[in-house]
Amino acid sequence: MSVTNLLENWSTFRHFHPVDDKPHEQYKWAMAINLDACTGCNACSVACYAENNIAVVGKDKYAHGQTMHWMRIERYWDEDGREFPDQGAQFLPMMCQQCEAAPCETVCPVGATNHTADGLNSQVYNRCIGSRYCSANCPFKVRYFNWYDYPDQEKVWPEPLPQQLNPDLTVRTKGVMEKCTFCVQRLTAAKSDARNEGRSVRDGDVQTACQQACPAGAISFGNLVDPQSKIAKQWEKQRVELAAHDEQEKDKEGSELRGYRIFEELRAYPSVMYLERVRESAV
Amino acid sequence: MERDIREDIAWAKINTDVLKSLESPRRLYWVIVFVAMLIFSIGIGCEVYQYNVGLGVANMDNPHVWGLYIATFIFWIGMSHSGTLLSAILLLMGADWRKPIYRFAEAMTTFSLMTAGLFVMVHLGRLWQVYYALPYPNERGVWPNFQSPLLWDAMAIFTYLSSSVLFLFIGMIPDLAICRDHLHPGWRKKLYTLLSLGWEGTDRQWRNFRVAYVTVACFLIPLAVSVHSIVASDFAMSQQPGWHVTSFPPYFVAGALYSGCAAIITLFIILRYVFKFEDYMTLPILKKIARLTFAIAMVWTYLNAVEFASVWYSHDQASKDVLIQKATGPYAPFWWMMNFCGSVVPLVLAFKRFQTSIPVLFAVSLLLNLGMWLERWMIVAPTFSHGYYPWTWDHDQWPSLVQWGMVFGSFGWFTLLFMVFCKVFPSVSMYEVKEMVYHRKMALENKTEGAH
Amino acid sequence: MSQHHLLALFNNFDEAEAVISELRSSNIKGFDFDDLTLKSPIEHHDVETLLGDRPAKGQWFTLFGALMGGLLGFFLISGAQANFFSQHKGGKPIVPIPANFVLTYEMFILGGVFISVLGFLICAGLPAKRSPLYSSKVSIDQIGILLKADASAVAAIKAVFTKHRALEIQEEVGK
Repeated sequence: MSVTNLLENWSTFRHFHPVDDKPHEQYKWAMAINLDACTGCNACSVACYAENNIAVVGKDKYAHGQTMHWMRIERYWDEDGREFPDQGAQFLPMMCQQCEAAPCETVCPVGATNHTADGLNSQVYNRCIGSRYCSANCPFKVRYFNWYDYPDQEKVWPEPLPQQLNPDLTVRTKGVMEKCTFCVQRLTAAKSDARNEGRSVRDGDVQTACQQACPAGAISFGNLVDPQSKIAKQWEKQRVELAAHDEQEKDKEGSELRGYRIFEELRAYPSVMYLERVRESAV
Repeated sequence: MERDIREDIAWAKINTDVLKSLESPRRLYWVIVFVAMLIFSIGIGCEVYQYNVGLGVANMDNPHVWGLYIATFIFWIGMSHSGTLLSAILLLMGADWRKPIYRFAEAMTTFSLMTAGLFVMVHLGRLWQVYYALPYPNERGVWPNFQSPLLWDAMAIFTYLSSSVLFLFIGMIPDLAICRDHLHPGWRKKLYTLLSLGWEGTDRQWRNFRVAYVTVACFLIPLAVSVHSIVASDFAMSQQPGWHVTSFPPYFVAGALYSGCAAIITLFIILRYVFKFEDYMTLPILKKIARLTFAIAMVWTYLNAVEFASVWYSHDQASKDVLIQKATGPYAPFWWMMNFCGSVVPLVLAFKRFQTSIPVLFAVSLLLNLGMWLERWMIVAPTFSHGYYPWTWDHDQWPSLVQWGMVFGSFGWFTLLFMVFCKVFPSVSMYEVKEMVYHRKMALENKTEGAH
Repeated sequence: MSQHHLLALFNNFDEAEAVISELRSSNIKGFDFDDLTLKSPIEHHDVETLLGDRPAKGQWFTLFGALMGGLLGFFLISGAQANFFSQHKGGKPIVPIPANFVLTYEMFILGGVFISVLGFLICAGLPAKRSPLYSSKVSIDQIGILLKADASAVAAIKAVFTKHRALEIQEEVGK
């Protein structure tokens, strides 16, 4: 009976993740992106399109801003009057930050986006009704909406292109929200392989598509719970804490550290750490 | 002093005058109904097209995921506020001048809520899955997310709509009995017989009627305030600059009352002419509503200023940027027009000679509602083009004709429902106007007796 | 003894009130004052004192409805959240009090309104069948007094009616 359940497990139902507790048992997927290494080549974005069956919407819809790039490379310029090529662009790869306290999760009316035990921000396409509140509340604006029926009505994959679609995940229909999943299909496969061998996923067992494609090796990805993983060491070295309040070590006076997360002050606790650029620009 | 209503109107005349509105309105009535149907069919056409092709035809894009649909949704919810809320407040305060006008005001509430409901639907990407948002028991044990302000919206609107309909219905039972007794046989007589529930005006019925009516009115006042506060929570509970504002709930409630009052003036003028209600919807009553509208306009102006001032005074650069963007960016003409329509135009109502001038009031009330619609748009849209994240800053977006068509169409839908209601049901409360006339006459007689 | 139904129509409340007070104080055999019903086109407060203690009990329905609505709301929602564990929202507990408060508040009002209306229908005896004697003039401008009395009392009651200028008296022999 639900009232009994409610009373018996009251404290479980009332704990605040991730602030109150040590949230993750076996896995906590996290990423680090070294902006110093990023050359803005867009290989990560292309790899993401290929891996995740993302629709290529075409010029027209691109001009209307209806693009689906889960992984996007943003360009920033110094406002000091210098023109290109005197100043090179500064690049920032941006994708879903898999926030621990994601603003998108609480506002979804149907619960289509939730927090998983692995610390991912999941998106259930079948459940999504397309209210787009998640995107409205996302500080990073990394959620992409299927404005059209790309596979069937818009025919973005004419024959024989459907043959090249990744069979490990679906194509999405019109009216649902989608976003970077940290290549959850690869994570699931790696976890199940590891479970068959009676162990946890080891560092290096699994790579995200963007990480795999990055020629500069700017992206590292792994399990933050495993202290031996590269990602855990990187986070540790930069003293970036998952559930830190408002600021990281780097933001403090006189710090030489480079690791930061975007919009720390919004307390969304993202799972992606960026390493600040030291060079002036990528060019 | 001008009187709200003539005390010497005979009760029998009240019956015939109001019942006539169910039979023979002016020809303008049919013109309005016809035009409303035309406008509504444009809206339907747009929705059919959008449903088939996808929401992309509305020309929203990836940072700008909300557009006119949400803005117009808030507009209609807002318009629903004055009807039932004012009727309930005036009932509890014993202000008897509400009696000739509350029926159509409550109908306005009901139908604008129904119109608002349409916008929730057309906004959804997958309309065909809308039932996922309902908390229905199912074998998978899957529930909607009760933490989402959108779900609170759904709950609040359901409560408000059903309570308003009940309030409207209860208040109408004695009048339905009158219709039952005095109309020619036909389908309408059957309908009234069914709906009047066998009301005969016995003392037992009246006693319980009054208790129930006042009780429901008591519930409706906090309910109406909570409904628009919850709509405000859609924004205030989010994390976006320009939305995450503490003063939003009262600001929304004031804006809601404001646009509702303006709509009451518009509909008052139309009904008065179309159904020849000059004896009941009198100028002194119109004057009272005009003054009320003026007062609420000033409350809204104040809260509007408070919102800007608190953002301006804060150290929150992102919110400040949104404000600057509103005043100087691509939305600037609309933003200034909103301030003009919302704060300057109502100053006209401060002048006595305009408070009873029908052409002026009609024009002013339409302008006020234009201002209130723009206000909602200016709350929703600019945050998307100048949010926290710099990537959104160079994305401009303009709603497509499909969006405009549906906004336009919703006015047709509302007018259609409202006009049909006023033809099928008495839009002036006959029994309460009788009460009003009776009590005023008694008061007058007592006064003259006292003078002797 | 056979029962007669009588309906008398009056022009104004004063006459009807006079009839009611006279019938109440008089001791006509075969007539019970509780069988008297006043019918009027508008609600009239003064008459209530004359009619004596005829209570309206709708408030109890309201209290019950509002409390049950609120309780049901809170436990339904919290129970659903507790049973649907996989719907974890980062940064928020599984059973969040502020969100549930809002919904409980709405359910409180919803229950209150619905059950009040139900209470009104029950207390007022609606939907009702048409009473034995009915005149549609009551819904225009006349005040009606409907009563039930033994045949023996009819003459006396009619006298009271005519004394106070009844416009019309209808009579029917009931069961």
